[in-house]
Amino acid sequence: MNLTELLDGTTSRWPQKPAFIEGDTIVSYAELGDTIARMTAQLRAFGMIPGTRVGLCHPNSVAYVALTFALWRLQAIVVPIPTECTSEETTAITETMQLEAVISQTPGGESVTLTPEGYITRLTPATLPDNHGLNIAFIRFTSGTTHERKGVVLSHETVRDRVVAANAALRIGPEDTVMWCLPMAHHFLITIVLYLSQGATIVLTRQVLARPFLETANRWRASVLYASPFHYALLARDRSDLTLPSVRLAVSTTCALPEDVAEDFVRRFGLPLVQALGIIELGLVSLNADDPRGRWNSVGRPLKTHRVRIVAPEADGVGEVAIAGPGFFDAYAAPWLPRENVLHDGWFHTGDLGWLDADGFLFLVGRKAAVINLAGRKVFPEEIETVLNRHPAVLESRVFGRRHAHLGEVVEAEVVLAQPHPEAEALRDFCREHLAPYKVPTRLHVVSRLPRTTATGKIRRETALVSHE
Amino acid sequence: MSDARAIEAELLAFLQREIFAPSLAVTAETDLVAAGFDSMSLVRVLLFVETNYGFWIPEREITNDALRNVRALAATVTRLLHER
Repeated sequence: MNLTELLDGTTSRWPQKPAFIEGDTIVSYAELGDTIARMTAQLRAFGMIPGTRVGLCHPNSVAYVALTFALWRLQAIVVPIPTECTSEETTAITETMQLEAVISQTPGGESVTLTPEGYITRLTPATLPDNHGLNIAFIRFTSGTTHERKGVVLSHETVRDRVVAANAALRIGPEDTVMWCLPMAHHFLITIVLYLSQGATIVLTRQVLARPFLETANRWRASVLYASPFHYALLARDRSDLTLPSVRLAVSTTCALPEDVAEDFVRRFGLPLVQALGIIELGLVSLNADDPRGRWNSVGRPLKTHRVRIVAPEADGVGEVAIAGPGFFDAYAAPWLPRENVLHDGWFHTGDLGWLDADGFLFLVGRKAAVINLAGRKVFPEEIETVLNRHPAVLESRVFGRRHAHLGEVVEAEVVLAQPHPEAEALRDFCREHLAPYKVPTRLHVVSRLPRTTATGKIRRETALVSHE
Repeated sequence: MSDARAIEAELLAFLQREIFAPSLAVTAETDLVAAGFDSMSLVRVLLFVETNYGFWIPEREITNDALRNVRALAATVTRLLHER
């Protein structure tokens, strides 16, 4: 099975239908197919063979999508590299994922030009990757539920299964037009691939401000919005008289929806925000399509194909959320760890803490692991501490998420410093050299010692609670 | 007025240091959106203002006009500071 079949099916049914709209440019499914065919021919000429792991470092664009499908056509494996990565972070992805080529927007040493855009460079990993006989489509370099496991491996079959399961809930069809503003490097499979498989039209917008976003949505009669609470906060407080008459579904994802945003959005547009729970290992798990007004703070009931249970609940019903269902990841890449060795009797333990109400709606209240969620971007404290601890003046550090009314959490750090103290700003500059901008601590607190657990002497981690109250 | 000028200089320094590539010289009149200002940039500017001036710019103030350029943004921040 190959994911390109999903797109080919759409292209043969609706060749003239717009696949993408960007600014004033409309790209039909037939034109997208032609671009993919041209890219495929160039990549084949480059010598791309099945199973090659290719880093894709490219901003949101039709070319990003065409490159992904061209690589899939040749059975190569796509590994997104977010464009905000520093060169050090890019090197970490390249080495850990054993990339054999990288595609970027800028030419490199011996890069080959791809038309209409992009440059591909061959790389030589220290050891050749082993794909364990899987038909891999995609590896996302994260993170996962713990800091130690890198790279979530997804086969073509897995992605297809999760697209089918997700669309039973989202019900995207050829009549839909989706407003797209999230980074494709972080969101692609149960979104872009799903929309294209159903013949929907995707409007690519870089607009962050409410008014131009609303104007674009209305110009193309958008029916679906898929964005983070931060985007919805801007829309909810817009003071123009623009409405969203054509929108049938507004999905809020990536982090907890604040109550005032949920309320203001409904008041402003007469449309409830529907929270969704998506996890890279699992795909779309739940969607609150059933009661988004009454239970605005729920991520909804699980998809019909999925089951949710709470592991070892406390007296208040809160425990770790575990999920069973189709389309689960195939393995972690580094170190290689097959899904079967991660699941507990078919259940994936998410690390999220939550509870179920009597009607089966899932509510998230926090996390077991110390992951910081800054407006939807996941930040692992250990990664930032590793960088801080490399600074000669830092004896030790602790990074944590501070609750923030508008962003969920923000990244802050406590540092124990050697004498003489460097300026906090110099330490932040040091972080900026080595880390993507959103990972740089907003505030650095100089402390004389770090809180430690009495039993093991380890640095105490606060697993910040997501504000749902 | 000195307030607005000082805030403008601080915002400009912040944007040049943390948001835009060193190769792009940002002035108080640079069109921010055209220069590649995205939603994560906006999050970081809002956090900078909160950390340095002690308040979160209300979303209703985050308009095309307010984000036209650094001068307009500084004027908004200054006005909101005085209103507090």
